[in-house]
Amino acid sequence: MSTLDFLFQGFATAMQWHNLLFAFFGVLIGTAVGVLPGIGPMSGIALLMPITASITGGLGPEQAATSSIILLAGVYYGAMYGGSTTSILLNTPGESSSVVTTLDGHQMAKNGRAGVALAICAIGSFSAGLIALIGLILLAKPLASIALKFGPAEYTALMLLGLLAVSGLGGKSITKALMMTVFGLLLATIGIDAVSGISRFTYDQPMLYSGLEFLTVAVGLFALGEVFKSILERESNDGEIAKITRIVPTKQDMKDSSIPILRGSVFGFFLGVLPGAGATLASFFSYIMEKKLSKHPEKFGTGTIEGVAGPESANNAAAGGAIVPLLTLGIPGSGATAILMSAFIMFNITPGPLLFEDHPEVAWGLIASMFVGNAILLILNLPLVRIFAKVVETPTKYLIPLIVAFSFFGVYAVQFSVFDLMLLVGCGVAGYFLMKNDFPIAPLVLGLVLGPMIENNFRRALTISNGDFMIFLQKPLSLLFIIIGILWVVTPMLLKLIGKKVVVNDDGL
Amino acid sequence: MSKTFDRFSGILFLAIGALFIVESIRLSQSAYGSDIGPDIFPMYLGIALVLLSIRLVYETFRYQQDQSEKEKLDYKRFAIILGAAILYAGLIETLGYVITTFVFLTVGFQTMQKGKLWLSILIAGVFSIGVYYVFVNVLQGTLPPFPFENMFF
Repeated sequence: MSTLDFLFQGFATAMQWHNLLFAFFGVLIGTAVGVLPGIGPMSGIALLMPITASITGGLGPEQAATSSIILLAGVYYGAMYGGSTTSILLNTPGESSSVVTTLDGHQMAKNGRAGVALAICAIGSFSAGLIALIGLILLAKPLASIALKFGPAEYTALMLLGLLAVSGLGGKSITKALMMTVFGLLLATIGIDAVSGISRFTYDQPMLYSGLEFLTVAVGLFALGEVFKSILERESNDGEIAKITRIVPTKQDMKDSSIPILRGSVFGFFLGVLPGAGATLASFFSYIMEKKLSKHPEKFGTGTIEGVAGPESANNAAAGGAIVPLLTLGIPGSGATAILMSAFIMFNITPGPLLFEDHPEVAWGLIASMFVGNAILLILNLPLVRIFAKVVETPTKYLIPLIVAFSFFGVYAVQFSVFDLMLLVGCGVAGYFLMKNDFPIAPLVLGLVLGPMIENNFRRALTISNGDFMIFLQKPLSLLFIIIGILWVVTPMLLKLIGKKVVVNDDGL
Repeated sequence: MSKTFDRFSGILFLAIGALFIVESIRLSQSAYGSDIGPDIFPMYLGIALVLLSIRLVYETFRYQQDQSEKEKLDYKRFAIILGAAILYAGLIETLGYVITTFVFLTVGFQTMQKGKLWLSILIAGVFSIGVYYVFVNVLQGTLPPFPFENMFF
């Protein structure tokens, strides 16, 4: 069957009424998650995983996986959109990727054009989703068929590249980011070794035999870490909320923003495909680009619509682009896609080149649902903008303990163990202190997810070569990946040495 | 950047790396049919972590003088909620989901901000009973039941 046939089949899957419902709730919850302070896309997806697993319990395994992943992906891009709502209305970005939106978005709100800014965000997100969809369709098959030719050495090198890329851009200090990556990989070795059956680092504790549960660690580090941060630092969201008056953009607004939206979408998509780059960088660079290309750069920062349209489309397109390496190569390039990947694994579906052959329904269903989800987002957000603005006002007093209770529920409902709850709290405390001191969390989580895969491929490669490490350098592709990976880490270091300012992805997305 | 924290965590990660190296050496050397045993991967990672930690500790000596901008952190609130969370985790299987969740939420709400006790109790009650009912009865999931199950349901 050709790609188009698969795509149509995907649309048939995505348009089933229950999947529409899942996509709807996904983007709805996602938007709320993005709007709420103290809970980002990563915690949102992680928290919803156990619930989707139980809701879809009645469906067949493949359908259950499709529906759940549609919902979780909806949360992912819904949250990307929701983050910009607070940027515009409150001048406090919900996610790091919407920091740039505050520059012009909040100024627009001050000029009484909050509604228009929000509407342009929604239109930008939609167009970005559309571009990302086209990109996915064009790239998915070729990338997957190249990846099928990879041997274990190439895979190891490619995963190494992904990890190095995320570490290189992961935070203020590359040393700390690399430490977190290695630590994540080390944590992944705890438990019974899949190849030899020997238990490693378990000290005869039965609960450690299956290893540290990814979901528990991720929810702890991200969700509870954020919660502890708001408790300790008394974060409050009592800023002035801008009034929303007119929502529908004028013809002139549309004319001014259509080109930036298009540019932002294409540019963001390609940045999103690269591991480690992600939405924060995409929105940042798009803003700079629009300012450079604009005929009146002096207007940027005073509430010009191009300054909202470009970056907003770019960060949403990057979120779509980040799904490409996940689906085709099985390698997540960011914290949020790492969590999505663990959702695939939970349903016993391994993302990667074989996904399109083994589970075309899941892969194409997800791709089509991203389009449907973005359409729902557009229809949903224009009329509901006022309601989402109200969500911002949820008092932290109730929000914070409820997030803790919800994390407990999420973890216990899947793991049924008190040990995991304790681990959850421990990870929360660790997460807070690590984040506070610029130890990025995303590389750790990525290391934990990729650990078993990278180890398997590493050992298979070495077994083939009889323990000779040169195998990683003799295979041309593997050598290429390693060189790119090293460059990725070394280049920012060199730039810093020369005294150039290096842009980093603040929380690794 | 906090010099003290970074130095301390550098040493801590150094110890963790060393521990993994030592424990890897103690693992059985090889897997059947292959020279590449389960010890290789964690051992190399341990070495990498040790080296990176040394580099971090070295970097801390080159930090600029600590800017001593002391933030006022609310440790009391944090300690109460952390303690409540640990108790919540420890007692959830003995006292059941609804009771522990209800108590944790009420304590949490009141710690965050005193006042409106009735509203706190109401929200805590609706959440704990609501989640339990929906998850156990509607979605057929499992959560720790009430301690004397026969008395209630």
